[in-house]
Amino acid sequence: MSEQNAEQTINDSYDVVIIGAGNGGLTAATTLAMNGAKVLLLEQHNLPGGFASSFVRGRFEFETSLHEMDEFGPESNQGAVKRLFEKRYNLNIDMVRVPEAYRLIITDPENKVDVTMPFGVEIFLDKLEEEVPGCRESVQKFFDIALEIRNAFQYFMKTRGRPDQQVLFKEYTNFLKTAPYTTQEVQDTLGIPKKAQDILNAYWCYLGLPMNRVTFTLFAMMIFTYLDFGGYIPINRSHGFTTALDAKIREFGGRIEYNTKVEKIIVENGKILGIETSKGDKIKTHNIISNASPTLVYNNLIYPKSEVPEIAIKEVNARIHGLAGFVVYLGLDASADELGLKEYSYFIMDGTSEKIYESWSKLQTPAGQATVCLNNAIPNCSLPGTSILFITTLFKPEVWFDVQPEDYVDLKNKIAKGLIEQFEIAIGVSVKEHIEEIEIATPVTFARFTRTYNGGIYGYEMEPWDSIIARFMSMEGDKHIEGLEFAGGYGSRGHGYNSSIGSGNVAALYTIAKLKKEGVLK
Amino acid sequence: MNEENKEKFVITVKSNTKDLFAFTKLVPNRRKRFEKASSEPIKSDPINDLARKLHPERQYLKISEIIDETESAKTFKLIPDPELGTKGLAYFRAGQYLSLKEIVNGVEITRPYSISSSPSEALEGFYNLTIRKEEHGFLTNYIWDNWKVSTKVVSSGPEGFFYFDPLRDLKNVVGIAGGSGITPFRSLAKAIIEGKIDAKLSILYGSSEEDDIIFYEEFKKLEKEYPDKLKIIHVLSCDVVSLDGCETGFITAEIIEKYCDVKNSTFFICGPQIMYDFVIKQLERFELPQKRIRREAFGEIKDIINYPGFPKEVTEKTFKIKVQIGNVTKEIPARATESVLVALERANLAPPSKCRSGECGFCRSLLISGDIYVSPISDWRKAADKKFNYFHPCYSYPISDLEIKVPRHL
Repeated sequence: MSEQNAEQTINDSYDVVIIGAGNGGLTAATTLAMNGAKVLLLEQHNLPGGFASSFVRGRFEFETSLHEMDEFGPESNQGAVKRLFEKRYNLNIDMVRVPEAYRLIITDPENKVDVTMPFGVEIFLDKLEEEVPGCRESVQKFFDIALEIRNAFQYFMKTRGRPDQQVLFKEYTNFLKTAPYTTQEVQDTLGIPKKAQDILNAYWCYLGLPMNRVTFTLFAMMIFTYLDFGGYIPINRSHGFTTALDAKIREFGGRIEYNTKVEKIIVENGKILGIETSKGDKIKTHNIISNASPTLVYNNLIYPKSEVPEIAIKEVNARIHGLAGFVVYLGLDASADELGLKEYSYFIMDGTSEKIYESWSKLQTPAGQATVCLNNAIPNCSLPGTSILFITTLFKPEVWFDVQPEDYVDLKNKIAKGLIEQFEIAIGVSVKEHIEEIEIATPVTFARFTRTYNGGIYGYEMEPWDSIIARFMSMEGDKHIEGLEFAGGYGSRGHGYNSSIGSGNVAALYTIAKLKKEGVLK
Repeated sequence: MNEENKEKFVITVKSNTKDLFAFTKLVPNRRKRFEKASSEPIKSDPINDLARKLHPERQYLKISEIIDETESAKTFKLIPDPELGTKGLAYFRAGQYLSLKEIVNGVEITRPYSISSSPSEALEGFYNLTIRKEEHGFLTNYIWDNWKVSTKVVSSGPEGFFYFDPLRDLKNVVGIAGGSGITPFRSLAKAIIEGKIDAKLSILYGSSEEDDIIFYEEFKKLEKEYPDKLKIIHVLSCDVVSLDGCETGFITAEIIEKYCDVKNSTFFICGPQIMYDFVIKQLERFELPQKRIRREAFGEIKDIINYPGFPKEVTEKTFKIKVQIGNVTKEIPARATESVLVALERANLAPPSKCRSGECGFCRSLLISGDIYVSPISDWRKAADKKFNYFHPCYSYPISDLEIKVPRHL
């Protein structure tokens, strides 16, 4: 450490230190600062947001990760994120609704599909019935259960994870009875025709688990939420709202330090004492909200190691770390119109969710992609005569383990080329000749900028045994160190923008309750 | 839906009892599953390991050899310094640079230099930096006086976006170089010759004197050995030229057309701003799409007062900047014609920086109050950063007193 750095060291004490300025860390810091807590938010990168960011190449500013937020909604039907940002934080973010739910193209010759689905539960159903005559009744039941699940969640939130069993059994029977099962099991029980399932389940890649493994509860709620609220995106990319949160935290008196990596969480007798950072800071605190995963906290950060509870390590080991991302960002020198791209969101899949998930276990162009043409939601997101297209797919992190530095660029280019061609063939457009800027993010890129374990962008896999309900009902049992809460994609609500945004707020509310009990906050 | 008049549909997946029983078992079964899991801590994270190999925050290097290229240019061969923890060098893409961190007269500064050796040579254990001594160069004067074999040098990982990309660029690559702007093209030429990049490189290399040409003999030899991969044309702006086969004057449209398949090439330009301005005018005649012309970042602006919209009335002024960096708050002087980054460095606050061209965003800082000038032709800030007053000190100039918050260097 140089002399200058030694002078700049931070040695203050804080009511709460938040590790990581991803979506969860940002909302945790905002809620805490708003409630008068003395807050320090530390981020190892020099930007807020984690995966929720943007970057500039040439004359383009690219969105890093967001396809659409599902809990925002219009004025007339406000989702939880909109209420949190606008009502609680008094933060106005410029968001737009994306035009359609998705265009789904299944290229597998046995089960060919090419359909564009609208938002709105009723019109979605109409369209689905048109595509698969006779499916309406069974899909209607699916939506009824999904609505019940959403209501049950509100009840869970209201009772802080301690619901009255009587009320649950009486009011939320379908919620209870479907909770132990996978989406496949429930949809088959409902008798939803195969093709209708394929169309209905296009969002599955947002959770990154195939239908025969993903928990029904969360999946059904996700589809319902998207269709009910519509998908929303920030006009200035994700960096637009994460920077707005950064400003809000400072306005509420919170402090943010970038380029500062937490290296140790000091624990004594099961209680948090403070943290130490890469900049030599030694900061006293009794409360931490970690946007870094339990995997990193329990394996790397808690100091001394003897303070790491064995069960915490077991919990991490029992779970499967979610998938890692792979994104091809394209700045094109032709407008969406000139290219013949009419939709915002494209899901292109060469078969079932199981087949595509399987393809993520190999180091080759995967069998599925989720692609966004940003200009079809934000026409002026790039200059006239240009457009932004980004192709997202996923990988099991382990397939990247043996890649050598000297092979890395050729490898990612090869996979990207395959994905671009997959898109060109499926949509019948020509993209390659218009590439003005290209950037390719791999699991390594996500690890580089966020330090996420093994480049994972999704939290722990959400199978029925570890479903969100089981997590909610275990909230207290999952806590092992006094004063330590988790936020973000590895938190109890799972990954995705809404979940991580919500999780930060909830972790902050728990911490505020603790600070009030201790008399630190009034 | 009229819920009240309709009997509620109740699903049965396995059987009513089984479904409800399974629900009641969710929490205890999850707990059991946790308890049965391994208690062995996770020790490895191969993806982060690879990320650190490709993009190390810092590389500790030392000079193993110094080669005099011309009167004013030297090549410094840098090898890892394992004593300080650098065991191998990060691989890179030909055309990338290293940001060196150096303490000059007690003041910590950074400077970006393109790597002139090939990527595969990084695997063999060295980088070459070919540096030309500038007349008033703060760091280059220091380097000439102080860098010897075994001097220790601290650098970033490889940085920058000035590289060939096969999905974007045409296989005919035209490199237009001015002065020390030749360095990234040496790396690219070697990568092409080594077969790592499938492209053909034609270099138009502008120099003001014959003696200033860097790598003259080497390029001549390579060109002879690999005529289908490499071609180099020297363009000399001096009055008397003795070398064979050279063009004289500047790199004009006529010269470009004479040696290149203009419509089927991607142009890479690296050189001083004055050359760039000239060449870009020449290229305009060909009406090439923007994607066919790529340029290396300019580096520091030397004549900010000539930029459009710069308020000339502040030219002679020195302002005060109140800086927060970590737990330090300090008031420092800042000249209107020097970037905020330079003012921070002069005050020895060790701010973060890499490209010094406004592009990479590594110096991104918060403008709490006051006004800055940012050149409209090199403003790489994100839309939301502009809205929320984040700025890039390396390409911003104070035009009033300022208050800013700067992140500490990594």
